[in-house]
Amino acid sequence: MLSPERLAQPDYEYLAQRHVLTYMEDAVYQLLENREDISQYGIARFFMDYFNSVCQGTHILFREFSFIQATPHNRASFLRAFWRCFRTVGKNGDLLTMREYHCLLQLLCPDFPLELTQKAARIVLMDDAMDCLMSFSDFLFAFQIQFYYSEFLDSVAAIYQDLLSGKNPNTVIVPTSSSGQYRQRPALGEAGVPEGVEASLFYQCLENLCDRHKYSCPPLALVKEILNGVQRLTFYGFLGTLSKHPGINQALGALPDKADLMQDPAMDEELERLLAQVPGLVPAVTATPELGCPPSRTPPRVGSPWRPLHHPRKVDTESDGSTEETDESET
Amino acid sequence: MIPGKYRSVSGRAANNVNCGLHLVIQPSSLPEKNKVEFKLNRDTPSFPGRLLQHDLERNYSSRQGDGRVISPSPRNKSSCISSTTNLTELCGLEMKTTTSSLSAFGDSSIQTPSKSRIRQGCHSAGPNISGDHINLVNSSMPSFPILQHSSEEKSLYSDRLTLERQKLTVCPIIDGEEHLRLLNFQHNFITRIQNISNLQRLIFLDLYDNQIEEISGLSTLRSLRVLLLGKNRIKKISNLENLINLDVLDLHGNQITKIENVNHLCDLRVLNLARNLLSHVDNLTGLDSLTELNLRHNQIAFVRDVDHLPSLQRLFLSFNNISSFDSVSCLADSTSLSDITFDGNPIAQESWYKHTVLQNMTQLRQLDMRRITEEERRMASVVAKKEEEKKRESQKQSLLKEKKRLTINNVARHWDLQQRVANNATNQDRKDSASPPQDPCQTEGSTISPFPEDTGAVDSGLTSALQSLSVIDTHLVEVDGDTLSLYGSGALESLDRNWSVQTAGMITTVSFTFIEFDEIVQVLPKLKIKLPNSLHLKFKETNLAMLQQFNALAQLRRIDQLTVDPQGNPVVNFTLWKYYVLFRLSHFSMQKINGTEVTQNDMIMAERLFGILAHVASSELPQYHLISILGDARKKQFRYLLETKGKKPGIVNEENNDSKRLVGENTNRATLNYTTREFYNEKLEDIKEKKKFCKMYIEDLVKEATEINMKNEALQKLWPQMFIELVRDAVIETRNKNSYMKLCLQQITDQK
Repeated sequence: MLSPERLAQPDYEYLAQRHVLTYMEDAVYQLLENREDISQYGIARFFMDYFNSVCQGTHILFREFSFIQATPHNRASFLRAFWRCFRTVGKNGDLLTMREYHCLLQLLCPDFPLELTQKAARIVLMDDAMDCLMSFSDFLFAFQIQFYYSEFLDSVAAIYQDLLSGKNPNTVIVPTSSSGQYRQRPALGEAGVPEGVEASLFYQCLENLCDRHKYSCPPLALVKEILNGVQRLTFYGFLGTLSKHPGINQALGALPDKADLMQDPAMDEELERLLAQVPGLVPAVTATPELGCPPSRTPPRVGSPWRPLHHPRKVDTESDGSTEETDESET
Repeated sequence: MIPGKYRSVSGRAANNVNCGLHLVIQPSSLPEKNKVEFKLNRDTPSFPGRLLQHDLERNYSSRQGDGRVISPSPRNKSSCISSTTNLTELCGLEMKTTTSSLSAFGDSSIQTPSKSRIRQGCHSAGPNISGDHINLVNSSMPSFPILQHSSEEKSLYSDRLTLERQKLTVCPIIDGEEHLRLLNFQHNFITRIQNISNLQRLIFLDLYDNQIEEISGLSTLRSLRVLLLGKNRIKKISNLENLINLDVLDLHGNQITKIENVNHLCDLRVLNLARNLLSHVDNLTGLDSLTELNLRHNQIAFVRDVDHLPSLQRLFLSFNNISSFDSVSCLADSTSLSDITFDGNPIAQESWYKHTVLQNMTQLRQLDMRRITEEERRMASVVAKKEEEKKRESQKQSLLKEKKRLTINNVARHWDLQQRVANNATNQDRKDSASPPQDPCQTEGSTISPFPEDTGAVDSGLTSALQSLSVIDTHLVEVDGDTLSLYGSGALESLDRNWSVQTAGMITTVSFTFIEFDEIVQVLPKLKIKLPNSLHLKFKETNLAMLQQFNALAQLRRIDQLTVDPQGNPVVNFTLWKYYVLFRLSHFSMQKINGTEVTQNDMIMAERLFGILAHVASSELPQYHLISILGDARKKQFRYLLETKGKKPGIVNEENNDSKRLVGENTNRATLNYTTREFYNEKLEDIKEKKKFCKMYIEDLVKEATEINMKNEALQKLWPQMFIELVRDAVIETRNKNSYMKLCLQQITDQK
């Protein structure tokens, strides 16, 4: 609270910028909504509850989308909640379609817009074949970028489009809300011109953007690192790399590293406890061998029925082959 | 055996023959019954046997079918004699004998030992002579053989001439025999009827077993009464115009394909068209005297006009191609018909054959040669009645089925339209996100609602009835046994009606087709009350697209089975849907999903996949939110009910209590519930409003607070200086103790 910036600007703006107002508004709204129930156990307690849940990141569960995307903290919390709740799906090795992931998202946020899921899927799949199956980790990281930096990516798309069409984007950048514009692949009239835009120019534009951007942007240093490695790049190539970059993930802080994505010992323990009391199966549980052994000690991957449900495919947790290929073509 | 009986009286019969043709029967004078019997007895071995083929065949064990007895077996002679019989009968000269004597007379022919003897007996040398003549003159081609009798013979057998088996290829010229009444050309090779036009008194003409291809040369034989043309090559019935007295016409064993040119034969009693190529029977008008019609062994598929034959008594249709009673239905209208055969037709194979025929033709006395008993008739009428009932029932059923089909089609069409509109709307929404989300279902619904409604309560006493069907243009409600099928959104209203306890209790399966799942969700509380025993839910074309939609089913009392048809339910394409259903509805301990048994492993898998979600939802959800979510769920159910039946407070209250119990489901799953899009949008609107208010409120508060804070900070800044100033003033004031004391004292005194 006592950062030096605080003194640099008026209090009100400071609170607004730090989204404190958002939470205060929401707290009051919740109070208003459930005033009978809350008054029973005390308003002070309610506020404690509320801000505690905000700190823990559980405040976004089953909330409306407008609230979930309202602050970066909410977004990160949602990403984390999604990961925690459906890590088991990924662990099971199932490859799912965009629609199914969308359904999972909707289980946590009933009005989650399809558009965001589609965009995230596009980062993974690189083209319009939207019915393809994706691995959980691929989708999750792409979704992270898309969801957390949604506005930033929209602006980047506009810049990219401008660069492609030869305009100098430095003059003025209007982050167009009309998404989907950039979806159309640039019409490569001249066959000789390689796909994409020049990386250095692109970086300059992004730098410029980050300076002025009021929404959250990925750390510029990391963007630079990504862009320095290549000569030219395409929009989705850029997003793909961005989504796979471990530094960005760390900076975001919502999800564990890719290697640890399937690990969540606390929750696993909880799950084993739950499994032991599957209704109506109590006597049977002891009978099944894999559940007979002490659950906490058994590594979840070994000896437990973690098998793909319907697709007996190779569990592809590392990465989606298609994205990898495109990356290489970029570099 | 019958022949034996005949033989016994043969001697007398022979006498009769010898007496010439004095023996006459006037058929009309005989009593009906006698006549029948008489025919049976007399005709069997004799000429009418050819006409009454059925009799013949029965006696000969159907050996020869309709063919005549051609082989030169002892029976051949019968044909000859029979003709005599017939002649005597037809001539109607003199009634001399009774039935018995007549039959005896018939028998006499049998008694005659051989062909030659007949000839001798009847015609003496006549045939022989003719044979010679033929041989003689045949060599000289242009002229015809001329037949002449000795005057002696003429005087003896002046009225008959038999030229049987004479290998004749043409008709001989018969001169001076104008008085001839009977002429027999059986078993020759005659190809054309000629040279007999002068025999104007001819009554009987037998051309059986020749090679005649066309009926011709008969136009002058006006008194001809019996014409036998069996076993020839005739293709067409023609040139009978002048034979108006014809009584018997035998055309069996020819190649006739249709009945024609017989309408003027108003005296014809017997017509034999067996073993021809008839494909159907019609054009029978005018045959007012026809009593017997033989149509065996044709290819007849249908029969018409028989009801225009006022005298027809016997009709033989054996061995044809009749396959339904409809194709011979005119028989039912014939009042005179008493004897009919259908054996050898496809129709006779049918189980309903006998009683259908009997039922439709009550006038019948014999069917397929067997006398019909009263018992049979009774049975037939009973069976027919039953049949009729069944038919009516099945007709009703099929009508209903058809109606159902049409309605379902209609509903499907509506559904498709609705889907398309909805898609368009969402597309528009997507394009123009600023516009308020319009609800396509709503607009569509308003167009549907004015459709006719049926008002009757679904079933009342008909609990045992399998089908109680109420069909409405745009939706369909069907109760079939334990299944309630609803088609189209309008069908959901049926749940508002008064269901009898029995019916409602019987229904264990509810199937939804062509209904938006969101609309179903709204009636689920009602479903729970009205159909407490429903265990199996089926969804088809219901737009089930999201896993969360299954949450809505958790509020039901119990589900054993769930069937979600892939058609129109995209959710089924998901890998996880089954597990999610199992997980979310685990408190029902479901047994089957889409017909597949739920195994323990499935349950465990479901828990593994989604257990954490439930855990997070229950243990990590902040309490204030938990309350609001659960409260919402309660309110929502309440609202669904209120909206549709606010006028019935009793039920609402009941439901209220019910929902407060919130079912015995796993509480950690209760937070996972589903709000229909409509309600959710409303809720979002609501939220927006409240948020706006909160925002303003907070804004004011914060502004106030920051102002206070600013003032406070300003004060804080000023305060040290102020303090110093204060202290300084005080110090200056108290610097001179004495003067300060004085001042103070002064003040005190002033106060006083």
